[in-house]
Amino acid sequence: MAIIEEPLALTSGEQHAERPLGVLTRPQANGSWKDWVSTVDHKKIGIMYGVAAMFFFLLGGLEALLIRTQLAFPESGFLSADVYNQIFTMHGVTMIFLFVMPFAAAFANYLIPLQIGARDVAFPRLNALSFWVWLSGAIFLNTSWIVGGGGADCGWFCYSPNSGITFSPTNGVDFYAIGLLITGIASLVSAVNLAVTCLNMRAPGMSLFRMPVLTWMLLVTQFLLAFALPVITVALLLLLFDRQFDSQFFDPEAGADPLLWQHLFWIFGHPEVYIIILPSFGIISEVIPAFSRKPIFGYSFMVFSGIAIGFMGWGVWAHHMFVSGIGPISVFAFSMATMFIAVPTGVKILNWLATMWGGKLHFSTAMLFAVGTVTMFTIGGLSGVTHSLAPADTQQTDTYYIVAHFHYVIFGGGVLGLFAGVYFWWPKVFGHLLNERRGKIHFWTMLIGFNLTFGPMHVLGLQGMSRRINTYSSGFGFEFWNLVATIGSYILGASVLYFLWNVYKSKKEAPNLPAPGPDPWDARSLEWSIPSPTPEHNFDEIPVVESQDDWWFRKYNIEDDGSVVRISSAEDAAQKGDAVGVHLPSPSFWPLVLAIGLPLIGYGVIFNLWLCVVGGLLTGGAIYAWVLEPVDDPDADGHGHDDHHDGDDPDGELATVGAAGDDTEGEG
Amino acid sequence: MKTIRKREKPVSDSRKRLLGAVALIGLITAGCAGDAELDTLQPQSDNARDIDTLLDRVLVIAGVIGVLVLGAVVYMAKKQRVKSYDGDDEFPEQISHNNTLEIGWTIVPAIIMVVVAVLTTVAHFSLNETEANAYEVEVEGDSTSWEPKIVVVGQQWWWEFRYYFTEDVDADFLDDPRNLPPADIVTAGQMVIPTGQEVELLVTSRDVIHSFWIPALNGKRDARPGFFAPWEISADEPGVYFGQCTEFCGLSHAKMRMQTIAMDDADFQNWIDEQMVPQSAPPENPDDPVSRGAAAFLANCSSCHLVEGFNGDEDIAAAVVSQAAPNLTHFASRTTFAGGILNTYTEDGEWNRDDISQWLRAPEVVKENYANGLPDGELPRGMPNLGLSERMISDLVAYLETLGQKPSAEILAATEVE
Repeated sequence: MAIIEEPLALTSGEQHAERPLGVLTRPQANGSWKDWVSTVDHKKIGIMYGVAAMFFFLLGGLEALLIRTQLAFPESGFLSADVYNQIFTMHGVTMIFLFVMPFAAAFANYLIPLQIGARDVAFPRLNALSFWVWLSGAIFLNTSWIVGGGGADCGWFCYSPNSGITFSPTNGVDFYAIGLLITGIASLVSAVNLAVTCLNMRAPGMSLFRMPVLTWMLLVTQFLLAFALPVITVALLLLLFDRQFDSQFFDPEAGADPLLWQHLFWIFGHPEVYIIILPSFGIISEVIPAFSRKPIFGYSFMVFSGIAIGFMGWGVWAHHMFVSGIGPISVFAFSMATMFIAVPTGVKILNWLATMWGGKLHFSTAMLFAVGTVTMFTIGGLSGVTHSLAPADTQQTDTYYIVAHFHYVIFGGGVLGLFAGVYFWWPKVFGHLLNERRGKIHFWTMLIGFNLTFGPMHVLGLQGMSRRINTYSSGFGFEFWNLVATIGSYILGASVLYFLWNVYKSKKEAPNLPAPGPDPWDARSLEWSIPSPTPEHNFDEIPVVESQDDWWFRKYNIEDDGSVVRISSAEDAAQKGDAVGVHLPSPSFWPLVLAIGLPLIGYGVIFNLWLCVVGGLLTGGAIYAWVLEPVDDPDADGHGHDDHHDGDDPDGELATVGAAGDDTEGEG
Repeated sequence: MKTIRKREKPVSDSRKRLLGAVALIGLITAGCAGDAELDTLQPQSDNARDIDTLLDRVLVIAGVIGVLVLGAVVYMAKKQRVKSYDGDDEFPEQISHNNTLEIGWTIVPAIIMVVVAVLTTVAHFSLNETEANAYEVEVEGDSTSWEPKIVVVGQQWWWEFRYYFTEDVDADFLDDPRNLPPADIVTAGQMVIPTGQEVELLVTSRDVIHSFWIPALNGKRDARPGFFAPWEISADEPGVYFGQCTEFCGLSHAKMRMQTIAMDDADFQNWIDEQMVPQSAPPENPDDPVSRGAAAFLANCSSCHLVEGFNGDEDIAAAVVSQAAPNLTHFASRTTFAGGILNTYTEDGEWNRDDISQWLRAPEVVKENYANGLPDGELPRGMPNLGLSERMISDLVAYLETLGQKPSAEILAATEVE
């Protein structure tokens, strides 16, 4: 429940009456492109996250195909060693920071408010800021191809001292450090925003333990982000100071120990794995029940195992460093900790299977992707157990066996799950379904391509093929499986293009097909109780939640004998989306302006400190303007009134006020 | 892929053993449908075998779990599949939880992991026990008890191996990897060890982090600047064992390879004797390419590379970032060069003029580096292109052939990547 009893805002409703000198006007929605760049609507922001992340998925995928093309044959000269090193670095950075994380953020932005029955996130302008800052960081990072003398060439893990100015004299690593600092700001802001949203903005009756598993997993993710990002921020700043201002944090010649970077990086880096995987776990925890026609099995075990993974994820980072020479006792401790993280993970897998067990399984595309996630993640999890054996890891680490493992986890467990979410929530977001037949072709080509690409890497790794090598000699037995992996990667690439084709065709066909209605999958959570696509104000009325899976219980009743009886059709039970005059936060350009200033500061640090002044003025000015902006525009039509909804419940007003972002936004 | 543990019984003649091992490796690799000199599943030492055994056991456990999970999914997909949901009567029993079951399947994985943990603990601590025994070697005529210890130094993009037979190699002795005390033997690319003997390695780096890895003999250990990481290695049988740097170390990481050659006691002693002999200047003779090559070496190579007895007797501070270049005193006794990527001798056992010439002519083409056209003040990394004339190159190739004894035919044969 919302707990802000009194508005903490400095500004108050009086502004509606008069506009003091110096207060800026807020833009109004008028249906043009400006709506998108000034929006503070969590749904539009979610969509923009999704679209931008998909763009970077294609970019990262292109880089992957270049890698695989180079490795298709031994002694290949397709890419030079230098370019290859840049491309594999940027492939990793792009896929992790510019695709999987923001793609998960797309779901978090769009779905958290809907699943908890809120009208927006806690701080709508901050939410816009998160997106624009992330995008500016992402673009900044990639401009290093053009103005930085190439991409970073130190690997996404960027171990010192190889990342130092002596060994990486181009500006690639500077772009890496600053780019990730900027996207880190975005993730940190977003983490705080979404965590507060989950904790404070829930509809009446939506207690924490009635939240859908997806929202739970996203909440855990936000806490992981909030604690992990400061660590990488410190590390990146130290690296940047080493490179730009001759500090010596990582310089072994000055007595530094390169292990410092490794610890800092992996204290961030391992929770990062769970940041990537937990949203997907949440998504399939929504999809599998819907297509098994059963509730999620063991809700509380699912939630607590997610929390347990979140906690244990902090105690295993040094399993990335088993051969670094951290000493046998440290290795032993981290080896044990790593093994036991398999327990909560195993619980999740078994609970998904138990959800399916005895269910009526309808293999829609979303369900196929969800089941694909469970199985592929199981393979990745089990190979992960073999790395937790520290002695075995001394053979496996930095070989293709690891590459195979983490792609089964991140792609198999993460990306497939995100695609399950795409197919599942597409009608809710865009008001039409993605074609199922094409969706299934997409799934099967992706699954086959994925396994052909990464399956052989297990063999290659055990045969001794090192990671991050731009070429290999014939005669080590690497030829065959590398070629297979390359063929697989092209199939995988084709499946992604086919998905885009499905998006395009489904959109074109949509007008001739019946509308999907509010609840096409007969699903269980609140977002299905409102029309598709989601109305701008989300809920006509903030729902009052009476149980877990509240929406399902508005459609069905479980009789005493255990049989399920329909009590209402989804159409009847759903809200109509026709409320008018719902108070919504006003748009603002300042988050975008603020975000544009940051990369300028970045270029300034690298090229000319005067640019920092320009960027700083832009950023500082935007912050100032943000503060001077009224929380709401008195002139905007349809805004600024009707804060009070039919008060069936004593809590409704608080929830509405919070959801409207009126009081809270003053702080944002 | 198959794990093979068969070993040939030792026979008295070491050459036969080596041939046998080579033949066996040949058979194994043939059986694996390809050569796999870096295969992690063909252990040739106690440590590597312990690791492999542990992995095998856990792979069985993981395999069973994997098959059960995938099997359950396939089973349900077959049995419980429905085309669509038409009526409301299609609801299965709405089971939301079962605490007993769930506690059960929290405990069962935990128990499985305890089993795995016990196996791991045993293997881990036995692997970290150093069992190096003193080993008698004769150094310059004096018998000395050597605790087999080799200092392994990585730098972009080659490995150096340093043997100290008489000194106590400890933390006081080794301080700065860039300024190591003069060693009895310094070699590059190929580390020679006595067979059946635990050899302690002290792995370090002169620039970035590298990782020393001979898969058949043990796992890997990072070479990190400023730190001497303890590691150990041994080989059951005489033979040539392949390795590859596995920590990303910059531009030519892929071309940073190494080998460990295990020799029986007599061969190892011979190798020591041979390596301890310094070179001397060849007699001056303008008609002799070797003599001209020696002069060319002095003029072009000697500021970085050492030929002991000819251009010095202590390590040279080379004008590269790592301050080191391979010691060439017994260049011709090694079967690989250029960071383990090229063979010193051809398949027919002839001096590999072509590759050595090409390396001298255009090292940056053979192996990408940062050694040419650098801005002022930036030190090279890798061997620069010195713009040598063709005549000078052929003289140098001739001179290099005189540095050290040609290795045995068995070693030559085993070095080749087939």
